[in-house]
Amino acid sequence: MATVLPPAPLNRPRTLVVGTAFITSAVLMFFGCLFAIYFSIRSDTMAWGMEWFPENAISLVPGGMNMATLTVSVATMAWAVYAVKNDDRVHAYLALILTALMGIAMINQTVFYYMDIALPIDHSEAALLLYVITGAHLVMVGVGVFWLGLLLLRAFGGQDTRRHRDLVSAASLYWYAMVFIYTFIWLFIYIGK
Amino acid sequence: MKNESTVVERIVTTTDSGTLSRYWIISAMVGLLFSSVTGLLVSLERIDLSAANIFSTADEVFQFWSAHRVSLVLIAVLPLMIGLATLVVPRQVGASRLVFPKMSAFSFWIWLFGALIIIIGFLANGGVGTPDAGSESQSVALTFVGVLLAIVGLCGASASLLTTIVAGRIPGLALLEIPAFSWSVLIAGTMWIATLPVLAANVVLIYVDMRGREPVNFGSEQVAWEQISWAFTHPQVYLWVLPLLGVVAEIISAAFKGKPSNALLAISIGLMGLAGFGAYAQTYFDLGTPVFEEAFSIIHAFVAIPYVLFFIAVIASVVVKNRKQFDKRAITPIVLAALSIVFLFQGVIVGALHVIGPLELATRSTVTSQIVLTLGAGVLAFMAAFAWWGELLTGKSISQQKVLITGIIFHLGVGLFAIADLLVGFTGQNDFTGASEFAAGTDSSNWGDALNIISLIGSSLFMVGVISAVAVGCQHAFSKTPAEGNPWDLETLEWTLGEKEEVA
Repeated sequence: MATVLPPAPLNRPRTLVVGTAFITSAVLMFFGCLFAIYFSIRSDTMAWGMEWFPENAISLVPGGMNMATLTVSVATMAWAVYAVKNDDRVHAYLALILTALMGIAMINQTVFYYMDIALPIDHSEAALLLYVITGAHLVMVGVGVFWLGLLLLRAFGGQDTRRHRDLVSAASLYWYAMVFIYTFIWLFIYIGK
Repeated sequence: MKNESTVVERIVTTTDSGTLSRYWIISAMVGLLFSSVTGLLVSLERIDLSAANIFSTADEVFQFWSAHRVSLVLIAVLPLMIGLATLVVPRQVGASRLVFPKMSAFSFWIWLFGALIIIIGFLANGGVGTPDAGSESQSVALTFVGVLLAIVGLCGASASLLTTIVAGRIPGLALLEIPAFSWSVLIAGTMWIATLPVLAANVVLIYVDMRGREPVNFGSEQVAWEQISWAFTHPQVYLWVLPLLGVVAEIISAAFKGKPSNALLAISIGLMGLAGFGAYAQTYFDLGTPVFEEAFSIIHAFVAIPYVLFFIAVIASVVVKNRKQFDKRAITPIVLAALSIVFLFQGVIVGALHVIGPLELATRSTVTSQIVLTLGAGVLAFMAAFAWWGELLTGKSISQQKVLITGIIFHLGVGLFAIADLLVGFTGQNDFTGASEFAAGTDSSNWGDALNIISLIGSSLFMVGVISAVAVGCQHAFSKTPAEGNPWDLETLEWTLGEKEEVA
C-alpha cells in the first residue's frame, strides 16, 4: 500500500523579522534626519566661528561607558539568539536577562548624566539637538528593554524554542540597530562634540 | 458558540482587512471633506470682495491655508491610498489577509486619533504655527502631537502592507511577478517608510523646542511651517500618490486584455518613487555648495517628466496593441484613470517650472496649483479604483455611471482650481507667506480677480465632487443589489480568492 505523505509546510520568509526590518528602517531614517540637521547646523555655526557646545559641557566618560555597555550587549543578544536556536533555554534566559540589564544600566547612566550636565535644553540649538537625539535614543532603548521583558516572559512559558525563534531574532535586529545608532551618538556627539 | 461581543467591541477590535480598509477610506473621505472646506474658505478670501472677507487676521488665513495642505496629505490622500492597498494588496499577493492584522488595526486607530487631534488643533486657533506668531501656542503643540500620531499610524500601516507583499506572498509568486498595484504599493510604502520618519523627526524637534521655556529656533511659530513644508509640496507629493500608477496600470491592462512588460512597469514605477523623494529639501539640510544644491534641485525636478512619460509609454503600448479588445464595460475606470495620469503629468510639469529661477514661481500660487493637481490625481485614481474594485470594498454592485459623474465633477473642480492658480501665479500672485501678503490684498488686476473667481469655482466643484463621492459611497453601502462576484470576468487572485476569517 502506498504511503501518502503530508504536504510540505509552506516555505514563507520570516514575517516577523521582515516586519521588524521595515520598522527598524523607519527608526534609522528618524535618527538619520536628526543627525543631518545636527551636522548641518553645527557646520554653519562653526563656519561663523561660533561655539557649538560650551567648553567642558560634554563629558566623554558617560558616553564611553554607555558605548562599552551597549557593545557588550550586542554579544549577549547574539548569545540569546544562538541559545534559542539550539534549544538551550538556560543560556537563553541568562543572555536575555543580561542584555536587558545592560539596557537598563544604559538608561540609568544617561538619566544620571542628564541630571549632572550643566547645559539647559534651551541654551542653544546644540543643546536642544543633544537632548532630542539622546532622548529619542533613550526611548528606543526603553522599547528594546520592554521587548526583552516580553521575550523573557515567553521564554519562561516555554514558547521561545528553536521552532519559534523569530521573535528573538526580530528583537536582536532591533537591538543591533539601536547600538548602531548609539555608535553615531558616541562618535559625533560625545567625541566629535 | 454565541458571539457575545458588543457592536462597539466588534468595531474597535476588528482585524479583518476588508473592514479596516473601509474604516481607512471612510475616515479619509471625511478628512478630504475637511480639506476641501478649508481650501474653499481660502479661495473665498482671495477674491477681492469686501463681503467675502471671512478672516480677520493674516494668521487665521495662514492657519486655514496650511490646514488645507496638511489635511489633504495626512488625513485624506495618504490614508485613501493605504485604505485601498489594505483591501487589494493581500488579495493580489494571495495572502488573503494582512500579515500583521493587529498592528494594522492599531495603526488605523492611532492615525484616526492623530487626525482628530490635528483637526481640533486647527480649529482651536492652533495649526502648524503662523508667520506672525498669532496662534494659541498650546493648540499649536496639540496639532503637532496629532501630526506625530498620524505619522506613527501611517508608518505602522505601511510596514504591515510591505511585510504582506514581501513575506506574505503565496509561495511561487516572485516579487517581480506581483500585480502592478501591489508593486506600486511596495515602492510607495518603502518610500513612505523612508520619508514619514523624517517628517516625524522634524515634528519632534519642533515640539520639544516649543515646550521649553523660550524656543531656541525650531519651535518658534514663525519657522515651524517652513521646516515641515517639504512634505506638502514638490517633489514629495508625488510619493503620496504613487499607488495611482499601479491603479492606472491594472485597469488599463485588464480592460484592454493586454499585459505590459513587468520589468518596464516595475522600473518606471520605481524611478517615479525615487523622483518623489523630497525629504532632502529641508530648511536645515545643507547639500553642499549653493550651485550644487540648485543643480540637484533642477535635475530632480525635471527628471520626473521623462519618468512619467516612460510610464505612459509602457501603458500606451498595451492600449495601441490591444485597442480592438477593449472591454466597453470598463469605460468609467478607464476614463478616470486616464484623467488621473494626465493630472499627474501636469503636476510634474508645473513642479519642474518652479525650479526655473527666472520664472520666479517658487513662492507663487503655482505651488498650490501643483499640489492640487498631484493630490487631485491621487483622488481621481482612487475613484477609478472604486469603480474597478468597488465590489470587493462594498460587497455591492457598483453603479458605474454615478462614479463617472462624480469623477467628472471632481475632475472639473481640480482642473479649474489648479489652472486658475497656475495662471494667477504667472501674473505675480504669491502663495501665502504672511501678514504683508494679507495687508497688500490679492492681485488687483482684472486678470487676477477673474482667475481668483475661477479658482473659487474650482474649489467649490472640488468640494461638490467630494460630497458626491461620499454620497455615492453611502448609497452603495446601503444598496440592496449584491455584488456580481467577478464583474470584469478576470482570473486574477483578487477576484478569485476568498477572504479568510478574522484573527482572534
